[in-house]
This record gives sequence, C-alpha cells and structure tokens, in this order.
Amino acid sequence: MKTWSIAVVYSAVLLMLPLAGCASHKAEPPVAQPQAVATQPETPEPVSTPQEAAASKPTDASPAPSEAAPAGKPATAPAPSGSTQATKPATTPAPNGATPAPKAATKTAPPVARTPTPPVRPPTPAAPAVASTAAAPLDLTALKEKLKATKAIGVFTKISLKNQVDDLMKQFSDYYQGKAKTTMPELRRSYDLLLMKVLSLLQDSDQKLASEVVSSREAIWALLSDPKKFATLQG
Amino acid sequence: MNKLTLVVARSLVVAALFAVPLFADDDEALKKDLTAVIALQGLPCGQVVDVTELAKDDYAATCKDGNKYRVYMNAEGRVVVEKRK
Repeated sequence: MKTWSIAVVYSAVLLMLPLAGCASHKAEPPVAQPQAVATQPETPEPVSTPQEAAASKPTDASPAPSEAAPAGKPATAPAPSGSTQATKPATTPAPNGATPAPKAATKTAPPVARTPTPPVRPPTPAAPAVASTAAAPLDLTALKEKLKATKAIGVFTKISLKNQVDDLMKQFSDYYQGKAKTTMPELRRSYDLLLMKVLSLLQDSDQKLASEVVSSREAIWALLSDPKKFATLQG
Repeated sequence: MNKLTLVVARSLVVAALFAVPLFADDDEALKKDLTAVIALQGLPCGQVVDVTELAKDDYAATCKDGNKYRVYMNAEGRVVVEKRK
C-alpha cells in the first residue's frame, strides 16, 4: 500500500516537472506594443526646429556649446529682457548650465532667449520637443551598458553590431579627415540603417530599450555629425 | 540497496527531464543569434534551422532556404559569415 502511494507521488512529480518547465517558457512573446516605438520617431523631428531657430540667430549657433562653461558662473546672469540678443544667450544657459549634457543646454537656450521669462511653453510645437529632450538628456554610456546587458540580442549579434558601429565610426572619421568620398547624407543613411537593425532586434523583446534608442536617435546623430563633438567621442 | 538504486534512477530521470529543455533552449537561442548575424550581413537565410559547432566561436549554420554558412569570429574580433557549398 505504501509503495503504491510512493509510486503515485513519484509519477505525479515526474509529470508535473516537465509541465512546469514548459509553462515557464510561455511568458516571452508580449504582443502589440510597437506603438511606443512607432510614436517615438516623431519626437526627434521637431528637435530640428529649435536648432534651426538657433541657427537663425548668428550668435547662438556656434557659441552655444562653449557658453555652457561661462554659464555655470552666474555672475554674468543679468539683463533679463533687456538690450540686445547678444546678451540674451548669456543669460539663458545659466539655469541650464547645471545639467550635465551640453546638448540639452544648447537646445533649451534658444526658446528662452526669445522671451525673457523662463516659462516659454506657449510656442506650440517647439516647446514639447524641447521638453522631451531636456527630460531625457543623452547618456551614451548608460545606453551602451544597457545594450551590452540586454538579453534581446545574442552575443554574436552584439559583436556583429559592434563591428558595424566601428565601421561607421571609421567612415565618419575618414569623412572628417577628408580621406573618404562619402557624403553626409550617405553617412546619415548608414546611421539610420544601423539604428534600424538595432531596433529590429530590440523591439520585440526589449521595447523599453528600443524606445530609449529611438529617443536618443537625433541626439546621437548630433554628436556624430558635428566634427568637434565627434572628436570628443573618439578621444 | 535496491531502494537506493531506485532513488538514484528516479533522480537521473528527473535530471534528464530538466536537462533536455535547457539544452533545447540554448540551441534555439544560438539559432536565433546566428539568424540575426546572417541577416545583419545582408545574406539570405530566412531562419537557421540547424547549427553545428565547429570550434569555439565557430559554427556551421544551415538555413531554412537551404543556404549554408560558416559563422565565426576572426582574430581581429570581427564576426565573419562565409557562404558554404
């Protein structure tokens, strides 16, 4: 009688174990959240508008990054609405100087420069774009670590992607040194293609990281497409 | 003695039951990985259906569409995909 019950218990356990093993695999395929990824690409587009706006002011465009350093010293801060546009940029980066990313500082500067008071949200499409970039400044190292750590991409695939990233960096380097015949639009196309490869690998299994990559897209491009910033990346 | 043998045999069965899905899982992950690598190189494959490990970081992959590739890491640390006949 005892042996019977032991045998029944054993067989029940043996049956349950593979079932439990199979059940654990089912959780993987989450469905239909590509919207998060799909909606993100639209946000970077408006980012160009503040840059263009910044470009319209000749003094803003180039000195903006370097202004981040003096901006940290609030001694020059005054002249809120005051005199000329030349003085305005000096006032605006001051609050943003605290933020680590120079990119955010340059982007937030122009809208504030137009109106003297900080709450410059009313300008319709530009303001949300600035807000989104300011909310998520580009943290390249963190993104890199997340990509290294994600299980959505296999080891070989990661190495292969890294090879392609290195190739692209080489192309940029050659372009800036005048060695290559590639044009900036071609580089942009290669960059977009590479990013799409990464996204296609991530979007099913690691949607959060996929949307982070999407939202960093323009910021990364801004680093690559600027020779000075690119030089810092390499060094 | 007899009881002990029985227990050992049962544990082995249990271990085997666990081991098979684990190996299968690893194998599927590798196939998926190699599929992605081949696709990243822009080569036709569809899906890797069979993998043979030739050496460390060196695999022979057979695709669903019949193509065969050797996927390996070279001395410079680059992943290379070579078409096989």
